[in-house]
Amino acid sequence: MGALQAEHFRKIREAMDRGLLPQWVLTDPDVWALEQERVFPRTWQFLGHESEVPVPGAFVTRWMVHDPVLVVRGEDGEIRAFLNACPHRGTLLCTADAGTQAAFTCPYHGWTFDAQGALIGVALAHQVWGTELCRAEWGLKPIPRLERYQGLLFGTLDPAAPPLVEYLGAMTWYLDLLVGRSGGMEVWGPPHRWVVAGNWKLLYENFTGDPYHVQSTHRSTVELGITPQRVVRGWQVVLPHGHGINVTQYLEVPERPYQRTPEALWPRFREHLNPVQEELLRRAAVLVGGIFPTLSFVSPLHGTGEDLYNFLNLRVWRPLAPDRVEVWSWCLVDRAAPEAYKRAAYKAYVDSFGPSGTLEQDDTEMWARVMQASRGWMVRDKTLNYNNVINYLMGFGRVEPDPTFPGPGTAYPGFVDAVSRSTHRFWLHLLTDGAEEGSGEA
Amino acid sequence: MNPEIRAAIEELLYHEAYLLDHRRYGEWLDLFTDDVVYRMPVRVTRERRAGSDVDPTAVYFDETKASLEKRVKRLSVRSAWVEENQPRHRHFVSNVVVRPTERPDEYAVRSYFLVLRSRGSDPDVDRVFGEREDRVRHVEGQWKIAARELVVDEAVLHTINLAMFL
Ligand code: FES
Ligand SMILES: [Fe+2]
Repeated sequence: MGALQAEHFRKIREAMDRGLLPQWVLTDPDVWALEQERVFPRTWQFLGHESEVPVPGAFVTRWMVHDPVLVVRGEDGEIRAFLNACPHRGTLLCTADAGTQAAFTCPYHGWTFDAQGALIGVALAHQVWGTELCRAEWGLKPIPRLERYQGLLFGTLDPAAPPLVEYLGAMTWYLDLLVGRSGGMEVWGPPHRWVVAGNWKLLYENFTGDPYHVQSTHRSTVELGITPQRVVRGWQVVLPHGHGINVTQYLEVPERPYQRTPEALWPRFREHLNPVQEELLRRAAVLVGGIFPTLSFVSPLHGTGEDLYNFLNLRVWRPLAPDRVEVWSWCLVDRAAPEAYKRAAYKAYVDSFGPSGTLEQDDTEMWARVMQASRGWMVRDKTLNYNNVINYLMGFGRVEPDPTFPGPGTAYPGFVDAVSRSTHRFWLHLLTDGAEEGSGEA
Repeated sequence: MNPEIRAAIEELLYHEAYLLDHRRYGEWLDLFTDDVVYRMPVRVTRERRAGSDVDPTAVYFDETKASLEKRVKRLSVRSAWVEENQPRHRHFVSNVVVRPTERPDEYAVRSYFLVLRSRGSDPDVDRVFGEREDRVRHVEGQWKIAARELVVDEAVLHTINLAMFL
């Protein structure tokens, strides 16, 4: 942990206890090194959606930070995840983003693996190899754990990690609502990928805990009438392990309820959701949140005038460096929705949250500006001589949870920084190897 | 190819680049026909035998004249932060090839593009590059762009956003 001492963690903790965060933790190289050792390998990371690998042999390649991952559906229909590297001498195995094939051949020395990860072909097997090569021992290395919830695939490098559903905790209730509402979703097209300036924690927090930024960062869309302006009320819900969700609802049940989804889906919502979830969805405007550490999601309404569409945008903030993130952005639509609606919803996604989207453009500009202002000594000084802390004070010690909120978790009414404060605590808990507690209520 | 037509179409592309680099978006929009289709599909990395690496289902842009106008309008409002302070763009267009089409008033125009953007004093330069396949039509004595397909060369874009036009 090199340069980071107990003293540093104590100071971070003290700042957090006052609703603050030392700004140096965003870009510090020692924090970044420790995050790669203790935060990312020990948590569940999103790998994809099962609709991306629909048939035997279908695969996608992904990254868990810097670990290359091959997600592939085997001939037996099972989805597996492997380190996307040839075990012989460590060559990146599959260089394609996606595809369908029965076997994967490493070009270096010509070993071949099947869609179940088994070593099935060894070049010149009989001429150069004898009994020293036991094929069964040289299959692809599995990602230690792969589990799924509502079709969302997650992996972790920690064999001893709690089961995914335990890690998600009450987030499962909201995933039922977001992803399971109509009986299943599908991914539309390959994800958008682009590289932005920013620290992954800040990007995660932007979706998961910061609805406050919308009124200013995205004011242009309000000025133009692209973002619907209606009377809404909102809650921020703190969930365990750094997860969180923000729920906004219309005060009146809108004329077109259920986020203006097509009527054909409504009976499915009633079938797949319990009455409390269904009522929440009936009035819902925007649901936006995140699953720590690197997955965020937003289920908004977007479009112009009467043509507002709902979609589910999933985001992976893949950290490349402390000040650089590769964004992966998927658009999911209800599988049972009419094709025309799916197409229109995808277009609404591109126009709003895609890399050319009117909402997206201004967010990336802000994250880049934070990085531009984080390189100087007044930010990096770990003794906090310059009071170099950033502000998570909204609602701190003032706003009480709202017991009338119908969903699980600790729900605060209106605008608060409760989720970010909880996320920071869980992050510190992992970073200190459990020395700092951080179960995660704000 | 008639060299005069070829020269006029090349001139159109260079003029377009100049208008974009100088934020003359109103005049830029006038270079497109009312029925223009402006698309930028997603490029992916595939195995050679898996066929085209341009994915037709996914796009960065899928625009009509009306939606291009809306994007221009958004960039002009005071709180479009991405335009504040005005980043500097440079649109390079080269390797222009003009071919006749089945329509006597329309030509297929292929060109290469490289767009660079400098934001504030940030040393990071955003870049987008690839190939354009345009349809250029002669309308009432003027050459206009009736369709544009942008095939980008990166599967992971190195621009913090696509707030610029390509
Ligand atoms: S490294 Fe793959 S076959 Fe040798
Ligand atoms: Fe935003």
